[in-house]
This record gives sequence, structure tokens and C-alpha cells, in this order.
Amino acid sequence: MKPGEVQDAVANGAVVLDMRPPKPFAKEHVPGAVNFQFNRADLAERAEMSLPHDLTYLIHAEPDPIAKVAMGILSKAGFHVEGYLEGGLKQWKAEGLPTEAMPLLTVDELKDALDRYRVVDTRESFEFRFGHIPGSTCLEWTEPWAAMEAIESDKPLALVCGDQVRSAYVASVMQRAKMDAALVFGGMVDWLERGYPVEKSPKKTKAPSP
Amino acid sequence: MADIKEDVVLDARNLLCPMPVVKAGKQIRSLTDGQILKILATDRGSIADFPAWADDTGNELLEWHEEDGTFVFYVRKVEEED
Amino acid sequence: MIMKQFRFEPLAQASYLIGCPRAKEAVIIDPIDDMGAESYVLEAADLGLTITGVFETHIHADYISCARELAEMNDVPHYLHESAADLVKYGFTSFTDGQVFEIGGVRITTIHTPGHTPEHTSFVITDSARSNEPWCVLTGDALFVGDVGRPDLLLGDQALDVMDEATRAETLYRSVKDKLFALPDHVEVYPCHYGGSTCGGVNMSGKAASTIAFEKRFNLAMRKETPAEFAAFVKETAKPFPDDYARIKSYNLGLISKDQITEAAV
Repeated sequence: MKPGEVQDAVANGAVVLDMRPPKPFAKEHVPGAVNFQFNRADLAERAEMSLPHDLTYLIHAEPDPIAKVAMGILSKAGFHVEGYLEGGLKQWKAEGLPTEAMPLLTVDELKDALDRYRVVDTRESFEFRFGHIPGSTCLEWTEPWAAMEAIESDKPLALVCGDQVRSAYVASVMQRAKMDAALVFGGMVDWLERGYPVEKSPKKTKAPSP
Repeated sequence: MADIKEDVVLDARNLLCPMPVVKAGKQIRSLTDGQILKILATDRGSIADFPAWADDTGNELLEWHEEDGTFVFYVRKVEEED
Repeated sequence: MIMKQFRFEPLAQASYLIGCPRAKEAVIIDPIDDMGAESYVLEAADLGLTITGVFETHIHADYISCARELAEMNDVPHYLHESAADLVKYGFTSFTDGQVFEIGGVRITTIHTPGHTPEHTSFVITDSARSNEPWCVLTGDALFVGDVGRPDLLLGDQALDVMDEATRAETLYRSVKDKLFALPDHVEVYPCHYGGSTCGGVNMSGKAASTIAFEKRFNLAMRKETPAEFAAFVKETAKPFPDDYARIKSYNLGLISKDQITEAAV
């Protein structure tokens, strides 16, 4: 699809799925795009776990052959994919169309400014319980579209996960909903490596996770 | 690093988080109590994921290390007591 | 280091992906159009690597190269030896003899090894995670496993051929003997062709990997003591010319379009 066609489709409610890694996505992306990193081996499974089936998607992946493969995989998995952005962001910008960025934080920057953010951990609840950033809350990455409505914050949000793949997805869904969201690059792995403080939650006394 | 002899190897390399832990969860069901599962992963998030997963499921994370970009985890299955 | 050899059996051609898993970057060497630029893109993606450059050992005459497409598709440089600037009709990024490229912890050092063609270059690979000594050399069509490249794929155009057959043969002998065989014995040899390919002679092995030490000892062409004996031997043991080599070479030089390769010769 040409950039103009993508723009029209977006105006009609389609969602651009930006399948590049989180860093280039954060640098700049099609406004309102949702970040969902491409990885051929497990794309279908991850999509099944978290992408709503009732949306229409447009793929932005680079280069074009990746977009075509992604389209095939997602269509086969039962997602409604209308097309892909031919020529990627280069083509989008060549036509003078705007892009938006997502604020990036390192764990060091977050640590220094912890009181200025509401930290949201997008990992599974058992991972959150095992050790999370003090004061953070859990919003599992499989549930952002509905669950984020429950999040109220006067402070900007900082999204974390293990590294940054799941948090980038959730952060982009929030940014799309006009929430003030920043992505913490390096996530809990970097946080733990630095030896920064973690809080644990009591283990739930119920049957173990499958 | 002690030599750990694994019973089953799960190659979860080039899978994105959280897939290595998801696959490990499925794979460990086929092991018997005391058996050791060796997991290979390239996703950096695994470093945080696996200790949490082991703690949550009661399986024992014996040790992990990095080898030229691949993370290697050794988990011993601990059968849940009813 | 990640190193993958792709073998396209119908033309007995080998192309390579060399990458660093930590930096998540890779380069492709000698990609072949029969496999398609997309297949290299997907191979790299499956390994979690971004393609940051496309290298060619030389301008090929026996197969259609997709280096230009692959480079453009990924918006990365297409690298050839600087001497190719006099020959090709398209833009590319040139490297000099002895230039070093770093892909994360992997180092690629160029060695200009002319003879098969004037711009021909071999690539020495070092994996700093293991050692600072060279580990492998990608020898293109200069040195094969059990054989050497042929010096007679000329176009009949002085400006494009640059060297005549006799000069090519002598130059190739010196390139292999003085430059490639000067590498440590343990260095692994990875060629661009093997087995049935018509880019070399009848002694080309079907095995697509060897070592400098083994080739020093058992490569029949290189056991010849003078360039003249070498040239004679190579001529005796040559195979039939590759199909369509003049037109394929013309396409790879940027002189004709892809459609024109299969058009009936004028």
C-alpha cells in the first residue's frame, strides 16, 4: 500500500503494526502505530496471545520482504490484515507525512527520576511478584487494550518488562490512546544487573501456573 | 562451573520474550521429578524471566550462564505435591 | 560469531552470512539472485540480525548477482574493490586492499587477490570473541577447494577485461601463493564455488570448505612451481565455459538489464 492509502485506512480505524525492533520504533514511527516486533519463528503465537482479533491491521516492517512474510503469517493466524506499507518509513517520510517518537529512558534515568513516573510492569503476574520496581503496578502485556483504561495517573507512565519487547508493545498501545507513556529500554534485566532495589509480592496460595 | 548433565534440551534460541519461558513451561511437563531441562535462549529478557518462572512453578533453577550471545539455563524439575 | 554458508546446488555456488550475535548485525557476501534477495533478508531476520552491508568478492560471470537489490532493499552499502569503479556502470561503496570492517566483535579484512578478475578480493574473518588471529578466509573464485579460479572468462573488451589470459593466470598464481598462502595454516578456506561449478577446473572438490594448510599441500594447481606451469595446468584442466557468461557478466557490470540476459544474442 502507498503511504496515502495507509493514511486513509488509518482514518477508517485500521491499526498500523510497526514490526521493527523497539529502538528504531521509539526514534520515529507512523503516528498511532503499535509496536509488535517481527520474529518469524514465534510471531503467530505471540500475536495470538495479545493482539485483538477484531481490529484491521496494516503492516509496517522493513524491508518489504519481511512485511510480506508477516502479512502471510498473521493472515493465516486469523488476523485481518489489509496490506503493508511499501517502502517503509522512508517512503512515508518522502511523501512529507509526519512521524511521532516515543520517549526512551534507560534504567539509570528512571532510577534518578523514579518519583516522577508511574511505573507499569508489563510482564506476567508471577514475574512481577518475584521482583519488581518499588511502587510499580502490573499490567500484563496480553491485556493492554482493555486493561489500560483502568490506569489513571497524574504522572507520565514508564513501561518495563524483561528487556523492552513486551513493554514497547504496551507503551505504543497507550501512546496510541493518547496516554503519556515512555519506554524503559533494558527493562528489569538492566535494573537487576545494576543492583537497584526490587520489591517482592507475596506468592499467591493457589494452583501453580501451567 | 560444575558439569551438569541434562536430560532434555530445549532450543529456544531466536525466540522473542516471553516465548522461551512459555516453551519451557510446556516442555518441563514431559520430564519426570528430578530430571534436568537445559534451555538455550538468545532473548535477553530470559535472564529475568527464568528465575521468576522457576520460583513460581517450584522447579529449581540450578545455574545459568552466557555463551557467545546464547543464554544457557539448567532447571531441575520438582514435582508438585498434592 | 555467526557464520552461515548458503549453497545453491544447481550452480554449485556458495554465499555467506557473517554476523555478530551481540551486535545483532550481519553482512552478506556474494548473494545470488537464484536464491533471491528476500531469502537473505529472512535468513538474517530469523537469526535476529540486521543486514548492515553487502560484499562481493568480484563481479561474477557465471551467475546473476542480487547484491545491488539486496543492498538497496536494506538501504546499506554494496561493497566492491575500488578497482571495480573502472568497470561497473553503477554506484557502489569501494574498499581498498587491507581495509578492516567491524561487525560487532567480528572483523573482516580485505585482501586484494586479482587474477580470476582484476578486482577480485578475498575476505579474512577474525572473531575477536575467540582470538585476534584470523580464523577463516572467503576466497571467492581465486582459490577453490582442490582447484583455482579460471583466468579465461574474458569479454573481448580490453577496457573491461583489463588483463589478458596469460597475465591473469600469472597474477592469480601470485595472489594465491604470496597472499592467501601467507595466511596461517589453520585458517579455513571458504570458496564461492565447489564441485560441479564451471568457474574452476576438473579438480574442484565437492566439499565447500578446506584449510590453507591442506590446499598448500594438496592443491594440484598450486603445487606447480612457476606461473607458466600453473597457467598450462589450469588450461589443461579447465571445464567448458559457464553458460551465458558474457551476458551474465554484462548484467553484473550494469551494462545490460536483467531481461536482456536471456534475450537472443544480437
